Amino acid sequence: MIGNRMNTTEELGEAGVIRIRWIPKYTAMERLFHWGHTVTFLALAATGMILFFPFLRPLAQGEGGQLVRLMHRAAAIPYGALPLIYVILEPRRAVLSLRSVFKVSRDDFEWIKGAMPYYLFGRHEAMAPQDRFNTGEKLNAVVIILGSVAFAITGLVMWFGKGIVPIGLYQAMVVMHDVSMVVTVSIFIVHFYLAVVHPMMWAGLVSMRFGVTSAAYAQEHHASWYYGPERAKEIYEARKAALAAEEEYPTD
Amino acid sequence: MSRVAMLIDESRCMGCRGCQVACKQWNDLPGEETTQRGSYENPPDLSPTTWTRVRFIEVVQGDSLQWLFLTHGCFHCGQPACVHVCPTGALKRDLTEGIITVEPDLCNGCGYCSQFCPFGIPRLDTDVLSGEGKAYKCNFCQDRVANGLLPACVKTCPSGAFDFGDREAMLAKGRARVEKLNQQGFPNANLYGEHELGGLGRLYVLKERPSLYGLPENPEYPVLANLWQDVLQPLGTLAFGAAALGVLGFYFLARRSVNMEDVE
Ligand code: HEM
Repeated sequence: MIGNRMNTTEELGEAGVIRIRWIPKYTAMERLFHWGHTVTFLALAATGMILFFPFLRPLAQGEGGQLVRLMHRAAAIPYGALPLIYVILEPRRAVLSLRSVFKVSRDDFEWIKGAMPYYLFGRHEAMAPQDRFNTGEKLNAVVIILGSVAFAITGLVMWFGKGIVPIGLYQAMVVMHDVSMVVTVSIFIVHFYLAVVHPMMWAGLVSMRFGVTSAAYAQEHHASWYYGPERAKEIYEARKAALAAEEEYPTD
Repeated sequence: MSRVAMLIDESRCMGCRGCQVACKQWNDLPGEETTQRGSYENPPDLSPTTWTRVRFIEVVQGDSLQWLFLTHGCFHCGQPACVHVCPTGALKRDLTEGIITVEPDLCNGCGYCSQFCPFGIPRLDTDVLSGEGKAYKCNFCQDRVANGLLPACVKTCPSGAFDFGDREAMLAKGRARVEKLNQQGFPNANLYGEHELGGLGRLYVLKERPSLYGLPENPEYPVLANLWQDVLQPLGTLAFGAAALGVLGFYFLARRSVNMEDVE
């Protein structure tokens, strides 16, 4: 690893213990929203799939099936309410998060190019600098946000629109609800892997639990957020140059 | 037994609603409180407790009024969308007789059947908020038919408008009757249900075009039912399987090649 240790703010303290400087990343509300949405999403996915997949049919039948549908509806209420509560209670944070989630730059395309070698083989000599969320997290967020809007619209029509809306519209809503399910659950599997299972990824989980991230991690993985975009770009270019030099005249 | 059908000759119906009453009696369905709506037709629609009902269609010709009757209820399609979309298996099509029934113990009240039926037949008694309830519709009195009896409505009809039995025989009777009506001065007379939706189990001899009776001229199978059940469901299984397997593969790849000392 090149030119990295010099920048870290981890220091050896008096007792020879590494001190980590923690910087805030998520508010308590944001974490509550994230985990509340996760739990209700899983509950909705589980109960919904019972109606969707023919091999789960025994669970969908009769009284049990009625309970499954009731649980789906009960979980849908907090699932829909949580994002609204977040936006109402912390509108500025919400705007900030939405802005960074939906902002696309060249760094995102470079990040995607570097993602495979990074996540598969742990190579991250030159990852394009990232904002508070990296491109992968942003992709996940965009899919979940759009999916949730689709779930809410189609789900409400399926809930209250029976016999009121034309049946062609109702049918389209069911199909769209299920398309959203297939897409969001697929992305959830990947998100779960990268955030929880992947051997290198623990910092994200820590910050989503405790709301903080270490300065060293932020410098390395969220440079645009930590240093600001310009300084981050300088560091990135310098590191790329150093890497190229290393390749030409290997030191070991 | 081969596929059965009910042949209803609407040119012979006199609107007595005996079928309606017999249906309620046999299936133990309560009467409904009705109001005077300015028509003999009552109750106003099919419902969880009204599985068959005579439509009274008033046709004004010059200064005379003509009634057209139509005994409405489940059509027992050869290709039933309701059975295809039912997530519980409560809706079943009997493979020999072709009768479509709802098994109340299995139904969970989701109501997809009501939203995918090309004729809008199944009725729900579900609570809007909780979604609790079940779907109901005509079952051709399968319990009677299985014991060699006629469906209650057929049995009771005093004017001979109803017939019931082997579908081929019913079709032959229906065609002959239409021919006769054509000769008797009903050029629009037609047999409804011969080919529609895999052939209907409820066949009508009509004096006029189907649309005049409030029937769809060309009832169509909802394509979205197929997109949902035949494309999306396998695709969903495939997508989740691929995502899970891919992730598992990546995990072992990453475990092997990531130098954990690099990880901070
Ligand atoms: C605002 C959120 C949501 C609402 C209002 C909602 C509402 C509904 C309703 C009303 C139904 C029809 C079943 C019934 O009538 O009880 C349904 C089915 C379903 N929902 Fe949701 N839902 C929501 C979110 C979700 C989420 C997040 C998922 C999955 C991740 C999901 C997956 C499904 C599935 C798979 C079905 C079954 C469709 C089928 O039978 O093929 N829903 N939902």
